[in-house]
Amino acid sequence: MSDALVQLGKNKLARRIIGGAGLPIPLPQELARGEGPWEARPLADRPVIMGGQGALTQVVARTLARAGADLVLAAPELEAEATDPAEAWSRPLSVQGGGGHAGEDGDEDTEDTGGLSQRPQALVYDATAVADVAGLRGLYDFFHPRVRELARCGRVVVLSRPAALATSPAEAAAREAVSGFVRSVAKELGRKGSTATWIEVEDGAEDAVEPVLRWLLGPRSAFVTGQPFRVGSGALRRKLGEVPFTRPLEGKVALVTGAAQGIGAAIVARLAEEGAKVVGVDRPEESARLGPVMAAAGGVPVLTDLTSEEAPGAVAEALGRLGGVDIVVHNAGVTRDKTLGRMDEGRWDLTLAVNLQALLRLNEALIPELLHDGGRIVQLASIAGIAGNVGQTNYACSKAGVIGLTRALAADLGRRGITVNAVAPGFIETRLTAAIPVSTREPARRLSSLGQGGLPVDVAELITFLASPGAQGLTGGVHRVCGQHLTGA
Amino acid sequence: MPVSTDNKVRKGRRAVIVAGNRTPFTKAFAELVKLDAVDLGVAATQGLLDRTELPHAELDSVVWGGVILPSGAPNVGREIVLDLGLPAGVEAMTCTRACATGLQSVLLAAAAIERGEADVVIAGGGDSTSNAEIKVGQRLVHAMAPMALGKKMGAKDYLQVLSQLMPISEILPRKPEIAERTTGEVMGEACERMAVRNEISREAQDCFAVASHHKAAAAIEAGRFDTEISPVTTREGEVVSSDTIVRATTSTEKLAKLRPVFAKEGTLTAGNSSALTDGAAAVLLMSYDKARALGYTPLAAVRSWGFVGVDPADQLLIGPALSMPLALDRAGMSLADVDLVDLHEAFAAQVLCVLKALASDAFARERLGREAAVGQVDPERLNVHGGSLALGHPFAATGARMVTTMAHELSRSGKETALLGICAAGGLGASAVLEAIA
Repeated sequence: MSDALVQLGKNKLARRIIGGAGLPIPLPQELARGEGPWEARPLADRPVIMGGQGALTQVVARTLARAGADLVLAAPELEAEATDPAEAWSRPLSVQGGGGHAGEDGDEDTEDTGGLSQRPQALVYDATAVADVAGLRGLYDFFHPRVRELARCGRVVVLSRPAALATSPAEAAAREAVSGFVRSVAKELGRKGSTATWIEVEDGAEDAVEPVLRWLLGPRSAFVTGQPFRVGSGALRRKLGEVPFTRPLEGKVALVTGAAQGIGAAIVARLAEEGAKVVGVDRPEESARLGPVMAAAGGVPVLTDLTSEEAPGAVAEALGRLGGVDIVVHNAGVTRDKTLGRMDEGRWDLTLAVNLQALLRLNEALIPELLHDGGRIVQLASIAGIAGNVGQTNYACSKAGVIGLTRALAADLGRRGITVNAVAPGFIETRLTAAIPVSTREPARRLSSLGQGGLPVDVAELITFLASPGAQGLTGGVHRVCGQHLTGA
Repeated sequence: MPVSTDNKVRKGRRAVIVAGNRTPFTKAFAELVKLDAVDLGVAATQGLLDRTELPHAELDSVVWGGVILPSGAPNVGREIVLDLGLPAGVEAMTCTRACATGLQSVLLAAAAIERGEADVVIAGGGDSTSNAEIKVGQRLVHAMAPMALGKKMGAKDYLQVLSQLMPISEILPRKPEIAERTTGEVMGEACERMAVRNEISREAQDCFAVASHHKAAAAIEAGRFDTEISPVTTREGEVVSSDTIVRATTSTEKLAKLRPVFAKEGTLTAGNSSALTDGAAAVLLMSYDKARALGYTPLAAVRSWGFVGVDPADQLLIGPALSMPLALDRAGMSLADVDLVDLHEAFAAQVLCVLKALASDAFARERLGREAAVGQVDPERLNVHGGSLALGHPFAATGARMVTTMAHELSRSGKETALLGICAAGGLGASAVLEAIA
């Protein structure tokens, strides 16, 4: 599972030799990840530069101050709105002059930090007021002098408004333009382990931005890059209230299917670590694996084949004993790859049955009564479901179906405050991917902006976040954990 | 956190402060070096008994406190009872809550009295920083235990023990240091970061420290502490009768010359930080009825209190900015109603950080969920006779010293209420409201 090139890249000498000789060997940056449960201040004492004048200055300042960051303002005009949060959390503001802080050699290992005591951990730009092409210049003016100062494994987050809700063609163009910008920034920053994402904030959803921004800026979003998060008012009809930033899942009951190993086992562990009571489902043959996973998480194992008649009832019964369920994670899935002409019908039928039909049946059994209002449904899709893949007509078909299901459910359940999201993993280092022949595996690993595969925990982190109260503003989305994979992004 | 003013105690049952007494406070490894925590506690308590002429038979219990507890006799309170030859029936405990320990023991006594568990209690605390025990690592303990505990051992076993003791650095005795266990940060380093984050200047700190010294010196000069301090005789027979840390002649010019001690470019110096101190303080509490029956005039009563915890890795010493409003809420009061404010001065910077937070609307909105700031503390009402910077800070004695001084102040001045605030290791904040009682 260990990635030899990531390990090699940690060696300064090796980096210098390979870089100096111009060898065509990528040396991906080892990603900085969080450990254990969510930290109270994920950005503790790290400088973060904020810029752009939009509707969210105070939200951003508050998010940063509460996350423990040292606030650096790109322009003095931001001071008025940033002062209060800074003062309340004792994070004195520093204001940068007219920009232009990076030296010409601000690249690589040089120590130019543009007047800061350390390289900024993140650059946050509020583009919510951008309404025309001229407004886009603000992106260039803010990022151009600062992007090379960013710390390794740093974060770029741009806040924008959804183009679909623009009031003029010019505004729609300017809003949509942000996506191309951030996707490209993500590609440029990937080799340094940094990510770039944007948050599309609907009018009236401003209060729901902080948890999303905090999570994206923190170490838990290590393998999530080059994509948007739309914070909408869809599921916000219920009041958000004070969002817990530590042990967010306390008192929640979670269901995870396919819990015995790989990504599923990682999801179980993370949900439990944040306080959830987890019910883990897997096939009876996986008994020996599921037992220890659930025991470690203090959860409840349920052995049943999800394609069987009695499965939904068995799961419902286990959840009923716990008083219902708050979080449903449909993780169980199979691959039965063959190019279409060679695929026997068994492969087709099984893949569709497990990956799609089983979800529909289980949802049917849980949603009407057992799933609490304000609950969460997270369904595992795949980048294959977005982009398609050779040999995976059956798999991609089922996973695209999951995406359709996600959107439909999100629309239906918004009035109950239930959010429904799909998570699409890219190349994740698991037992399955380890079994791929080296000649296929190596290129596949490198086909993302971060130049490496993700870990099961990266998927589990995103799911944990989507399951948390702070993710109330996110519903109907397809969120990739792929390091901005070449396909599907 | 529950805020209830619905806990009215019948007046006769209320806990009142009758008297207080302490040893002089001296720098660690100075005048009182040979007196350990028990000796200092004995001295403070003996002085209190002498001063009040309390009939020993009336005493129900002793609630003591210590931060650096002697491992051989951690229940210092009971050792004091026994050393003083008090009746064996006087039960005793010893509590610990870092720098808020002295206040904690007073409040435990008050709670016991108001619940009807006791009528007469001596509460207090003290520490001999000079007698902190030098610790050896667990590794040495684990390696040596089989030998020490008498297991039969052969040559091979001894060799095995020896092999466990390498490298030598791991078994050397450890320098005693008052660092946070979780963060490894010494308190001064944490406060140094707070000073930066709250933009507290070196000048402001020095200025505050000088004022503390001047106020304390004036109080001593005026004999203000004569009813609160009793002399201590050292093992050599010398008599120490007054505080030795306070400097009447210090000035901002003098303090400005001192070098930062916790960070290279820092602002905290020996002059604007409290010193390691030896000393103890004791308070006599009774139920109101009992005090009257025994012919004592109560100095003050305890109106409310509150403790809070904050993340030690964030702002270690900001606790009082949260505990003071809590105690005020429970007293049904606002800061403006309070006549006196006594803040423990661990560092000048820490006091100034707390004052800044109390005065901030933004802090009040974000951290306390209220519209307007707790308030600006009137400098005329704050630490009227100086504080820990000038007087010193024997960790567990400070709270009891503050209670004593404020109780006396209320009684003498005819003022109504005093608010106490103490920051403590581990990110704790402790506060209490004292009020006059006739």
